[in-house]
Amino acid sequence: MTDHAPVTGRQALARSAFPSMTSGRWGLTAFAVAIAAAIPLVMTNQYYLSVMVTTLILLVLNISWNFVLGVAGVWNFGQLAIYAMGGYGAGIMMLRTSLSPWLALLAGGVVAAIAAMLLAFPTLRLYGIYTSLLTFAFAEVIQYMILNDGSGITGGSFGLPSVPGLFDTLSIDDQNRAYYWTILAIVVTVTLVLAAVKQSELGIALRSIRDAPAYAAARGVNPLRLRVIAFAISGFIAGVAGALYVCAEGSISPSVMGLTPMSVYVTMLVIGGLGTSTGPIIGTILVQIVATVLVTRPGAEFTILGLFLLVVVIFVPDGLAGVVGRYWRRIGVWAAEGENPAADEPPDTGEAVPDGTAAASQAEGSPDPHVA
Amino acid sequence: MVTNFVAIVVNTIILGSIYGLVAIGMTLIYGTLRILDMSQGSMVMVGSFIGWGVLVVAGWSPVLAILAAFAATFMLGVLTQLVSVQPLMKRRNAIDFEMVTFITTFAVAMVLTNVALEVLGPFQRNVTPVISGGVTIHTVNLPYQSLAMAIVSIALMAGLGLFLSRTRWGMAIRAVAQNLDAARLMGVPVGKLYPLTMGLASALAGVAGVFLGGLYFAYPGAGDLPLLEALIVVIFGGLGSLPGTIYAAYAIGLIQATAEQIVGETWSLPILYGVILIVLIVRPYGLLGKPSEARL
Repeated sequence: MTDHAPVTGRQALARSAFPSMTSGRWGLTAFAVAIAAAIPLVMTNQYYLSVMVTTLILLVLNISWNFVLGVAGVWNFGQLAIYAMGGYGAGIMMLRTSLSPWLALLAGGVVAAIAAMLLAFPTLRLYGIYTSLLTFAFAEVIQYMILNDGSGITGGSFGLPSVPGLFDTLSIDDQNRAYYWTILAIVVTVTLVLAAVKQSELGIALRSIRDAPAYAAARGVNPLRLRVIAFAISGFIAGVAGALYVCAEGSISPSVMGLTPMSVYVTMLVIGGLGTSTGPIIGTILVQIVATVLVTRPGAEFTILGLFLLVVVIFVPDGLAGVVGRYWRRIGVWAAEGENPAADEPPDTGEAVPDGTAAASQAEGSPDPHVA
Repeated sequence: MVTNFVAIVVNTIILGSIYGLVAIGMTLIYGTLRILDMSQGSMVMVGSFIGWGVLVVAGWSPVLAILAAFAATFMLGVLTQLVSVQPLMKRRNAIDFEMVTFITTFAVAMVLTNVALEVLGPFQRNVTPVISGGVTIHTVNLPYQSLAMAIVSIALMAGLGLFLSRTRWGMAIRAVAQNLDAARLMGVPVGKLYPLTMGLASALAGVAGVFLGGLYFAYPGAGDLPLLEALIVVIFGGLGSLPGTIYAAYAIGLIQATAEQIVGETWSLPILYGVILIVLIVRPYGLLGKPSEARL
């Protein structure tokens, strides 16, 4: 990794939260967000609009998962349980107390962050595949506990019904639009915040542990403390996603967890590009399109997704975000040439890539860096 | 009390043998290729459908069903290796090799399961038991099918042990598991060995599928539960350790059989996961797992 090269002092890190974003790139990003925000104004089909709201909720979840799985490199397969706990936490609080739904979003995030930190502790001694089994076992136990809960708090296998929403006073059509814009704003915020975190000292430390654990520890990075922090950050966002789900759907059931939804979400992340900032967005939207087109034929849907996953992992190790990133970089170079040619950093350092695609491509296993 | 005890012992042997059969393939693959093969579950599913095809549709003999399942899943395993693992072998030393192959074999499992769903439909199909009838010990009913399953599993595991310790190819597989570079320098054809290992492991899962199909049903999701249980077994036993896997298979069988007797079937899987949580916290490398290299 070339990450350690510029780390000579704190000033070097503090120069910018988004070192690779030129004004041209900011413009393109703003343009994309504006187009996304304009969709509900043109789109009149309420079914497709509600699919898009679901997609946006999944985006929040996938962005949070990408942080712990892709950036921190911890194989956490318990994320869906964290997500469900955020949803259940928010839902139960809204039903039992007169908590406002907006505060319940935060409360769900806090519940999930605490659960994620508790989950992080037993994984501290584990690595790789063992972590994934422990976290997955945790998720299964949570799901079984909810499924077999006879106390009536979670509603067992039927789930929590009739949870208040964020915009209950509006008409159905307006509700869909309001959710769309609210969650879009959350997606944009979360993406920017996590992209900034990734470039911060914390993010660099996390990636160094992912890519070279022994070296990072030797340089004074504390892997235990950072893993708990990564779980907490990612857990909070996943919990907010769960709370958004329970508000938008008006209910939540244990079926939000389990192997089938998990395999779809992993597919989204990997196709998009693990560890990149744009990857979860590209992957989630693409997979949701395939899923919506083939909604009546799940067999065909999963066959196509499986083949797609196989092809992407073997031939495009850094995911579609890597492919897009390469073009994005060319556009950036082209845009920067007009302003100030010297401002553009050489494209082969990890820092120069908009979303860490170079770092990801190295981690995803281009043969050079780690070969013993 | 005696009934409970007999039921626990009988179920431990049956469950342990069948878990062992699926899990030992995963261990063999992990030891040799350093990947966790998620497609083993769908090999069980394919095996159970082949059992259904040969026994029910064609009405041929059970021996033929087992042989057909062995051959077909062997070839499918070789194919899976060539498609989903071989192109990645050049990244073998990358830090995320385990995760990448985990994902590609998972993708193969997704494709196999859903092709079965598209072609054969979501129906649960009865597979004729390989042997019908049963014996009753202390009011515990023991079908011959389960007994045969345990015997075939143990025989196959013993056969695999002999293959690994006595034959040229078996020793080559162990050599690769212990030290890839040394094995290569000794002239072991590593390129051919990888598909062979995965074919062999898949064939064991396929045979397990014929029996499991007779116990439950043949349907596209038939491999999901065996895969989860095999995952628990291999991790409990310590990845890559063959004896550890066999001990773990029976230990898991014992835990599950006891849980079924005491608190009922619904809670047996969550209890299993609870036990795994504790084991992993106490012994992060499983029962006989080694922190790093020494395998098989």
